[in-house]
Amino acid sequence: MSSEANDIDRLVNRRYEHGFVTDIESESLPPGLDEGVIRAISARKNEPEFMLEWRLKAYRHWLTLNEPNWAHVSYTPIDYQEISYFSAPKSDADRPKSLDEVDPKLLETYDKLGIPLHERARLAGVAVDAVFDSVSVATTFKDKLSEAGVIFCPFSEAVVNHPELVRKYLGSVVPYRDNFFATLNTAVFSDGSFVYIPKGVRCPMELSTYFRINAANTGQFERTLIIADEGSYVSYLEGCTAPMRDENQLHAAVVELVALKDAEIKYSTVQNWYPGDEEGKGGIFNFVTKRGDCRGDNAKISWTQVETGSAITWKYPSCILRGDNSVGEFYSVAVANNMQQADTGTKMIHIGKNTKSTIVSKGISAGKAQNAYRGLVRVMPQAANARNHTQCDSLLIGKQCGAHTFPYIETRNSSAQIEHEATTSKISADQLFYCRQRGISEEDAVNMIVNGFCKEVFKELPMEFAVEAQALLNVSLEGAVG
Amino acid sequence: MSAAVLNQDLLEAAVGRLAADGLTDLRERALVRFGETGFPSVREENWRYTNLAAAVELSNAYLSDAPGAISATNVDISQLNDDIDAHWIVISSGVADPDALAALQDDGIVITPLSESNDSDQVCIDDPLSSFNAALLHDGLRVRVAENARIEKPIGFLLQDDAAATAGLSQTRIVVDLGRNASASFIELHRSGGDSAHFANSVVQMELDAGASANFVRIQERSTKHMQIGRLQARLQENTTFNFTTIDVGGKLIRNDVAVTIEGAHAVANVCGVYLADGNQHIDNHILLDHRVGPAVSMQDYRGIVGGRARCIFNGKALVREGADGTDAEQSNRNLLLSDTAEIDTKPELEIFADDVKCAHGTTVGQLDKKELFYLRSRGLSHEQARILLTRAFAGHILKKLPIENAKKYIDQLIERKLDQLTGDTDQ
Repeated sequence: MSSEANDIDRLVNRRYEHGFVTDIESESLPPGLDEGVIRAISARKNEPEFMLEWRLKAYRHWLTLNEPNWAHVSYTPIDYQEISYFSAPKSDADRPKSLDEVDPKLLETYDKLGIPLHERARLAGVAVDAVFDSVSVATTFKDKLSEAGVIFCPFSEAVVNHPELVRKYLGSVVPYRDNFFATLNTAVFSDGSFVYIPKGVRCPMELSTYFRINAANTGQFERTLIIADEGSYVSYLEGCTAPMRDENQLHAAVVELVALKDAEIKYSTVQNWYPGDEEGKGGIFNFVTKRGDCRGDNAKISWTQVETGSAITWKYPSCILRGDNSVGEFYSVAVANNMQQADTGTKMIHIGKNTKSTIVSKGISAGKAQNAYRGLVRVMPQAANARNHTQCDSLLIGKQCGAHTFPYIETRNSSAQIEHEATTSKISADQLFYCRQRGISEEDAVNMIVNGFCKEVFKELPMEFAVEAQALLNVSLEGAVG
Repeated sequence: MSAAVLNQDLLEAAVGRLAADGLTDLRERALVRFGETGFPSVREENWRYTNLAAAVELSNAYLSDAPGAISATNVDISQLNDDIDAHWIVISSGVADPDALAALQDDGIVITPLSESNDSDQVCIDDPLSSFNAALLHDGLRVRVAENARIEKPIGFLLQDDAAATAGLSQTRIVVDLGRNASASFIELHRSGGDSAHFANSVVQMELDAGASANFVRIQERSTKHMQIGRLQARLQENTTFNFTTIDVGGKLIRNDVAVTIEGAHAVANVCGVYLADGNQHIDNHILLDHRVGPAVSMQDYRGIVGGRARCIFNGKALVREGADGTDAEQSNRNLLLSDTAEIDTKPELEIFADDVKCAHGTTVGQLDKKELFYLRSRGLSHEQARILLTRAFAGHILKKLPIENAKKYIDQLIERKLDQLTGDTDQ
């Protein structure tokens, strides 16, 4: 009996390796939300007046909104007055200039995560703008980037140093009235990343941000804005881990991408936040608004995501294909195990002529999880020769999980060509038997089959992410078959 | 835009005016039920593409005019029999000619007015339009097919509303029971007598006992001033087969709800449809296949050809409940869009709670295949001829699966006429 209990303990701990809390003092605002809190956040970040006004406008609008309930998820209602809307690691006044100055405890945290910032960043040629809770504390490779003219900095810095760019583009893709969670984010967002790639520049390295939710009871509200000016290219990686705790944490981020004429943005996410335990206790609520705007002709935006974490995922990275010949892509693997719930997909809005979009979505459900694909493909009347291909496949592992597909296809142009295909199936006994017969353990066999199922998406990920994603998938599905 | 609301007081008064009979209790229950919900609005997921405001307005206007008794419809039955050979029953506002019913009493099939069947608790009032329908029912039809009976000749229901001068509102309810191992075919033909605005709301309920099989073909050729909401719900027990095909060519605003519930193992459900729309037509097909028990097979196969300023909607859903293992559910919806002012909204949904299932769906929206056009042109056909031939073949895919042979010729002609109209008014 006790060895059984040990086994379970081991499994639970192994399943979520990044569950720990770094004990550094956080300078948090008390829980609650009113105009005073918003003013305090804005003041603490030394924001210009226009930002405060924008936040307040959003807050007042948010008060008139109701929380959406159309998603195929269920959870106990969130008390928005119970959340603390700002938390920053201490010594905010004198920020560290280099890694040596960074709080050693923080560095330790990254070590536990397996991302030794200074080494890994250099080795991988990746600039890391690590967001620890809400304020960015370390940014590397700034020099190399600034040589190329690339601006890659914490959002709060951009607001102060590049207000003209922020003012021009912030909220231009996801307006403050967009939806309940985006509006809340607009009112209270703490920090995030800002990227500007100048005309004709191919960003010399892949940009990467590791987000971490840390302080107890703190919702994390990042805001990311990426602008690729004419003819530029950038690949951006976002990876997430969070400490283990028993309370649901709200995460409502907004990501805005703007691709001007001939520009290309590739945005990749590996999301591995704490999904809660087997009973569904704890875990992150991940209610994210991500949208890209192909504003100029021949622009391209590509979303790739591997979603394995979070108790609830509510996320629809979208592309507005405004420019002629613009291209939108969405590649997704969403894994839900135990009591996890995922409602995720994309929207492709075809406005320009000859616009193309591709959607490949792979959903895997195990345990008692519910996994839904929800997508919209809309072809406007002026979008001549629009082309879309959608493939959504679901894999079921176990008797109690669910896999759902809700595709919306709205076509108003006769030259459009739209195809949608979907399948739902389980890992067949034949496939498993074949692998077992060849001496492969059941768990390895399942991993192999699942990895094969997801291959189409993994090949879109940058190299180092692809490796991580495969490992993640195996960990996420541990104990799913038996 | 604020949603149009039906005036409940007017409805209550109208229900009160109906003669007391075996349905009085049902009407009262349905009235209360409808009062709780009202008509669905576009804010509801299932109605996001179809706005009932015009139908609600018309209903309000009609109910406030304190309409009197319904007038009988003049229909040339022999002409009808030439069109489609069947036992025809003409239904005006839910009421059928008793003589016609009497003529049918012997073939193992019994059809009585619903008000005389003493089982009004079987009448479904679960959704807003069914409760609205039941509240305003003049009468309905109760159809019983006896155990092991094989009805060779199709039973035809002609739903024709003569709205000659004034706006009209009509409710039709047909409740069908097929006994064990019984089989029968049904045709529901929707026509318009006049050309003024009309809102017809019909509900057909089918119960298939073990081993029964039913074919059902619905042909809708209403005037383009008419609105119609038609609901068909079927419950299938073990080893049953249900083949349904709907053909929509007419109507201004058409909404078809088909809900099939599989309650017994080895049931087979085929739900197919063709919709052809032009002008300002709006045709909305909603299908729900609820797999409660497995193994069972279902197929949804719909094709649409849409031109002019028309808008067509396909929303098919396969729901596989926990424990419905061995389910094989397929969905297919293909559309040809002929003009830039037309719109197609398609939403093939899968909701699956069991793991031993095979589910797939495919949807396309587009134009005729250029290679196919080229092939025909290389064989000497003009572009025009090739286009018409391929468009016909596109619709023909569903027609060749038509479960009732007697209706085939008539439907072919109907589709041909509509296609001429559709392909004639585009210049591609």
